[in-house]
Amino acid sequence: MNVSNLIVIHLASTPLAIVSNGIDLELSFTQTMQGLGLSPQVAHIIWLPLPMLLVLVAALVGVLVTVWLERKISAAAQQRIGPEYAGALGILQPMADGLKLLVKEDIIPAKADSLLFTLGPVLVLVPVILSWLIVPFGQNLLISNVGIGIFLWISLSSIQPIGLLMSGYASNNKYSLLGGLRAAAQSISYEIPLALSVLAVVMMSNSLSTVDIVAQQTGAGVLSWNIWRQPIGFVIFWICALAECERLPFDLPEAEEELVAGYQTEYAGMKFALFYLGSYINLVLSALLVSVLYLGGWGFPIPIESLANLINQPINSPLIEVIAGSIGIVMTILKAYLLVFLAILLRWTTPRVRIDQLLDLGWKFLLPISLVNLLFTAALKLSFPSAFGG
Amino acid sequence: MLGFLKKVAEYTRDAVDAASYLAQGLSVTFDHMRRRPITVQYPYEKLIPSERYRGRIHYEFDKCIACEVCVRVCPINLPVVDWVMNKETKKKELKNYSIDFGVCIFCGNCVEYCPTNCLSMTEEYELSAFDRHSLNFDNVALGRLPTNVTTDPSVQPLREFAYLPKGIVDPHEIPSTHSRAGKLPSEMLEWLNQNPALEDSNKSNQKDLPQNEEIL
Repeated sequence: MNVSNLIVIHLASTPLAIVSNGIDLELSFTQTMQGLGLSPQVAHIIWLPLPMLLVLVAALVGVLVTVWLERKISAAAQQRIGPEYAGALGILQPMADGLKLLVKEDIIPAKADSLLFTLGPVLVLVPVILSWLIVPFGQNLLISNVGIGIFLWISLSSIQPIGLLMSGYASNNKYSLLGGLRAAAQSISYEIPLALSVLAVVMMSNSLSTVDIVAQQTGAGVLSWNIWRQPIGFVIFWICALAECERLPFDLPEAEEELVAGYQTEYAGMKFALFYLGSYINLVLSALLVSVLYLGGWGFPIPIESLANLINQPINSPLIEVIAGSIGIVMTILKAYLLVFLAILLRWTTPRVRIDQLLDLGWKFLLPISLVNLLFTAALKLSFPSAFGG
Repeated sequence: MLGFLKKVAEYTRDAVDAASYLAQGLSVTFDHMRRRPITVQYPYEKLIPSERYRGRIHYEFDKCIACEVCVRVCPINLPVVDWVMNKETKKKELKNYSIDFGVCIFCGNCVEYCPTNCLSMTEEYELSAFDRHSLNFDNVALGRLPTNVTTDPSVQPLREFAYLPKGIVDPHEIPSTHSRAGKLPSEMLEWLNQNPALEDSNKSNQKDLPQNEEIL
């Protein structure tokens, strides 16, 4: 139950905490607290909110960065400059946007169902934030290493379409309703190939836990990443993740040319901001999960152990541990943001698909391909247990 | 069985084709990352309108003979020419002249046909107003000259793409002494004078079109 890079000092003061499987911040924190004369239970309770707050802040900062990147990269793709005056290079633009939405009037349409109208955006945002529970930034750098890890994410992400449908229906607006229905149809049909491609990865690592999935990809650096063993699964997962995030080319639930803004049409102020936040947190989350499932998570392209051997340092010396931990965080974020960049590039490259094309692609292409991929992985696992996880 | 395999092969080929087209598109978008922005920071930088720019119409009251040709050639009879017949001098006396630029389509027909050249096109295009009635310019407003972009000290004038030297795309930091690609009309005339052979062939062409000589 850990996250953070803030208590490096404690590491130095409590060398006992450093075990061979990386930095354990919780252990060092509770030990420090016990050193101050607190009982282990109290220390645990004090510890609990810290990683959660940190991840929440990380998610929000990640959104701000993503929004800024989206605007800047979009501008570059269209030979524009993009936000420029709010802070250096417009870095404060997303803050300004957020502040604007915060002080905007909160409107609930007269004929809307005010309870469902309010509940909708909450139901969209909460599961997405909850899913950050399982995103690992290092061996012990995640909120909770739950055994059902990736399955938790899949089940949480299927709550989202209920929220979308709810807000679309409660708005009492034809565009909202259509957008909500499309969002529900899209999320449900792309959930299945997504889950199947995840299943293939899970089959290879023999575990649903995200930490185990990454651990299975370490060893030979870039060569041991799942993308080489699951190239088809990677593509399917990425397509489905884009569809789940309602990114172009699959943004038809909010297609502004036909549906004004889909289920978001009647929303303003902070409720709209929740949708906005939700979509960007979801994008970053999907990118993080792609990097966890297929790109070796926190793994460095060259194994850290061999690098440590190169400079004749034991792998569990405090300095190497801290460096490896920071490299892990940087690598996870770097991989995720490369994928975010790809998503933004795709946004300006591909035209929006029609609803029939979307469902065609989901049911007639991705679903059979992912099934075949799953069977193929099973066959490979049986025939080459050493390479595909025995 | 063979038919099925054929179908699978076709399907695979389609999928690969789609992927390659997608990659092609992505490479185009990615290539744009290294291109310089073409943004003109509008209130601080402005493009110099081209020579034949059709902006707000300028009008000289004293030249006007109130013939109403402008009204007749206008697609919507827009100019309002307010005149009365002076019975004693037997001449038209012009009282007012106005054009509503909220309605004008800037086609330039009035300018083209005005017999006394009292109408002309300016470079002015900043015609936004809080009230659409304030766009109805009377003869005083029509007689005002617009601020020139090149002489306005608060504006950095930028040359349009066609007025840049050959091979230059970015109008920033190009000194005004660098002339544009190709020849100016005056330079073209000079060049024609230096090459009498070409001029002769030009002349022979002009016999069919004698009105060209007036322009030259």
